[in-house]
Amino acid sequence: MSKIKIDQVSRHFDENVALAEVNLEVQEGEFFSLLGPSGCGKSTLLNIIAGFLEPTSGSVYIGGNDVTGLPAYRRNLGMVFQNYALFPHLTVFENVAYGLKIKKLSRNEIKERVTEALSLVQLSSFAERRPHQLSGGQQQRVAIARAIAIQPSVLLLDEPLSNLDAKLRKEMQFELRNIQQRVGITTILVTHDQEEALSLSDRIGILGKGHLQQVGSPLEVYRRPANRFVAEFIGQVNLIKAKKSVSQSEAPEGKVLYEAEEFEAAKNRPLQLEVEAESDSETLFMLRPERIHISFIPLERTVNNAKVQLKEISYIGNALRLNVELGSRELTIHTPDPVFNELPKPGDAFYIYWNSEDIIPLEAGE
Amino acid sequence: MANNHRKKPLKWLDFCIWTVGILVYLFLILPVFVIGLSAFSPKAYPEFPPKEFSLTWFYAVFENPQWMDSLTTSGILLVIVTPLTVILGTMAAYALARLQFRGKEAIQSFVLSPLMIPQIVLGIALLYIFNMMGINGSITALAIGHIIICFPYVVRTVAVSVSNLDPRLELASMNLGANPVQTFFNVTLPLIKPGIIAGAVFSTVTSFGEISISLFVSSPSTVTVPVRTFSYIEQTFDPSVNAISVIFIAISIIALIIIEKTIGLSKVM
Amino acid sequence: MRKSSKKKNQLFHWLLLLPTLLFLGVFLVAPLIFLIVLSFRDVDSMLTVLSTYSFSHYIEVFSSKIYVKTIISTIWMALITTLLCLVLAYPAAYLLVRAPNRKLRALFYIMLVSPLLTSVVIRTFAWIVLLAQNGLINEILIKLNIIGEPLSLLWNMRAVIIAYVQVMLPFAVLPIATSLSDLNPNLRNASMSLGAGRIQSFFKVTLPLTIPGMITGAIIVFSLAAGSYITPLLVGGRMQPILPLSIYQQVMQVFNLPLAAAMSISLLVIVFIFVGILGLVLKRWETRMHG
Repeated sequence: MSKIKIDQVSRHFDENVALAEVNLEVQEGEFFSLLGPSGCGKSTLLNIIAGFLEPTSGSVYIGGNDVTGLPAYRRNLGMVFQNYALFPHLTVFENVAYGLKIKKLSRNEIKERVTEALSLVQLSSFAERRPHQLSGGQQQRVAIARAIAIQPSVLLLDEPLSNLDAKLRKEMQFELRNIQQRVGITTILVTHDQEEALSLSDRIGILGKGHLQQVGSPLEVYRRPANRFVAEFIGQVNLIKAKKSVSQSEAPEGKVLYEAEEFEAAKNRPLQLEVEAESDSETLFMLRPERIHISFIPLERTVNNAKVQLKEISYIGNALRLNVELGSRELTIHTPDPVFNELPKPGDAFYIYWNSEDIIPLEAGE
Repeated sequence: MANNHRKKPLKWLDFCIWTVGILVYLFLILPVFVIGLSAFSPKAYPEFPPKEFSLTWFYAVFENPQWMDSLTTSGILLVIVTPLTVILGTMAAYALARLQFRGKEAIQSFVLSPLMIPQIVLGIALLYIFNMMGINGSITALAIGHIIICFPYVVRTVAVSVSNLDPRLELASMNLGANPVQTFFNVTLPLIKPGIIAGAVFSTVTSFGEISISLFVSSPSTVTVPVRTFSYIEQTFDPSVNAISVIFIAISIIALIIIEKTIGLSKVM
Repeated sequence: MRKSSKKKNQLFHWLLLLPTLLFLGVFLVAPLIFLIVLSFRDVDSMLTVLSTYSFSHYIEVFSSKIYVKTIISTIWMALITTLLCLVLAYPAAYLLVRAPNRKLRALFYIMLVSPLLTSVVIRTFAWIVLLAQNGLINEILIKLNIIGEPLSLLWNMRAVIIAYVQVMLPFAVLPIATSLSDLNPNLRNASMSLGAGRIQSFFKVTLPLTIPGMITGAIIVFSLAAGSYITPLLVGGRMQPILPLSIYQQVMQVFNLPLAAAMSISLLVIVFIFVGILGLVLKRWETRMHG
């Protein structure tokens, strides 16, 4: 039985449809991310799970029980907010003890649990400090300790790391995953940062315009995006529209030929794609920039390659990004290792190629 | 579906809060309502439910030489007091915003202190000193009393405007060669106009309605409208006081609207 | 900026501040000092002021039964008014902050602030119209046959407190509303996510965090309630044991200015003590919260 089940949940704000019939199941102990651009409805969904919002229709089940009618304070969930929401008038200890006091636990038990939670987030010596004396990262850890101390059935995180600077963020991501695995608690993370979602999650649910576009493991979602929305949201992508070639005679066993008219593989020759499986007669394909290889010598076959001219080149960290022209259209390439003795300049010409399994068909998507 | 039983406890609490809240607001406007009823009723006392509508008491006010005399006095005061409070208050607010020195907070409290001192104490103190100076009961005395009470309001509103003003604009002006005086008049003043207007409105309304100090400091020849109202209430029962009250309330609402349009109420209060 | 122009600037700013400081010095500080001096001067049986000084007036104020009773009942009345204002201010502030649309919020603002811009005489007068024997409330109650004879609602402390609360409520609502709107909305959600119901969350999180607003409101209401005399005079009658009233009588009827001065200074000191205590509490709270 799933730990959290979201059944046909919709949420309208006047005429605005924030969520449209979302169905989702999160398993026990899973680290699940809700990913999407701002305004996609992910925070709305989290607030519905938490009990701060009512769904316009549909139900929410936690541990098999229908909690749709239950107010937030009866759902036994732990929640970490974007701006930490630590109680400024209480000490760190009192913050973490807050939920335990509500449950009317004994003083000793409260002390025990708070100490445990604080050591879990490595803030044991900070118990008597007040929130304004802590840094952003420390406040976030207190927020996590506070949520975990009540031993909730589920942990909900609403963009908890977006207020931190990049480096601190990476550290906290690591710690977050660590804590989650140590405690073994079912966790839902809401974020707009796809890198964060990809690196932390067991599974990711991508929300776009109120619909769940795809649910899958980071690998699945990256390599096999369900539609254009997901493909464009996760990582960088080249999109190539192509028609099935009239003559398939030259296609080897099991492969299908497509032609992308808008892209010029060479003078007066449109780009030819050789793909693994058959799709619609007109399909949108995606090709990840890091899947494109570069060659300075001409290539034998006439499929899945092109002669290109360099338009722009830039560093992105420890890799290169190249924008190349195929006639009037462009493709983006990422190469991790510089394969050049000398960096090419805009205007230089060379060859690019890729494998047929790297051309992925997308559904039209919406 | 479990949806139903959750709605009741939440809604009940909300309902209670809103009911109590609305009752509090009704309690707040009760006087306005009552005065309205009285002022527009032809009889000498209010009727509920109201039966007739009449403006007799308003005519009574304008036909009564004593009221007109008081209106004149209050009017003269306004003309003297408002410009002075605006000038004094604007200069003080601006200076305090731009100066940095130890004890600045103390001086700021000092400038606003007239609002915090019980007005009866102020009234007596001024009565005594005006007696010593021989000017008690004159327009001058009244004006001074009013200025003390009214100019802190100008300081408050102008301070808000000044805090919204980017000091770099003044720096730019001075870098271009203007001296501080020119900068103040050409750059600062036009930009803090909303605060000045709001302050002027506050000052006008406060002066027009001031009684606690005026009662001590006025004389039979300088009776302002509120002081006249006070004696009418104490001694006679003249329903034209209702009409005067409506006029006051109308003025306050207009003043409110002006203040809201210039500087926004939430910032000043 | 160059040093010389900075100095020129500073000089200009000080010149702007000077008139105000002078004005306040001459017409605020000096009168109060004179008042203090006056309070120590003796009076003879004809109430002429003598040139000798003593504590006699202060002794009278703090030892005579009547005046002590007056002081205590003044403080008591001001405290009750403050308490009532604070309690009633919360629902009103809550509505102001949670108003669903701008028009409603503007309406609430008008209802709150326009009384403040109306003379206190007028506001008090309305209560007379309401509470008088032939006033509105009696009229309605008689019409509805709830009572046969008109009630005597005026001329007592109860009427004064009711009128006070209504007159001073806005001064409590506005700071509390500001505190409420400054609150991080997630704090309430955080409290609820940890298992605290709405009422519990209010008392454990919202209320403590609006303490600055409460204290500010309390300071204003207390000083106003302790120092007003117009409203008690018109609604309570001259016999009410309220210190400002006694002062008024000493000045306007008995003409014993030094005694009135001593009472005024005493009133000032009482108000300052309360305001000072509240101010200290506020400061300590702020340090606790923000460091």
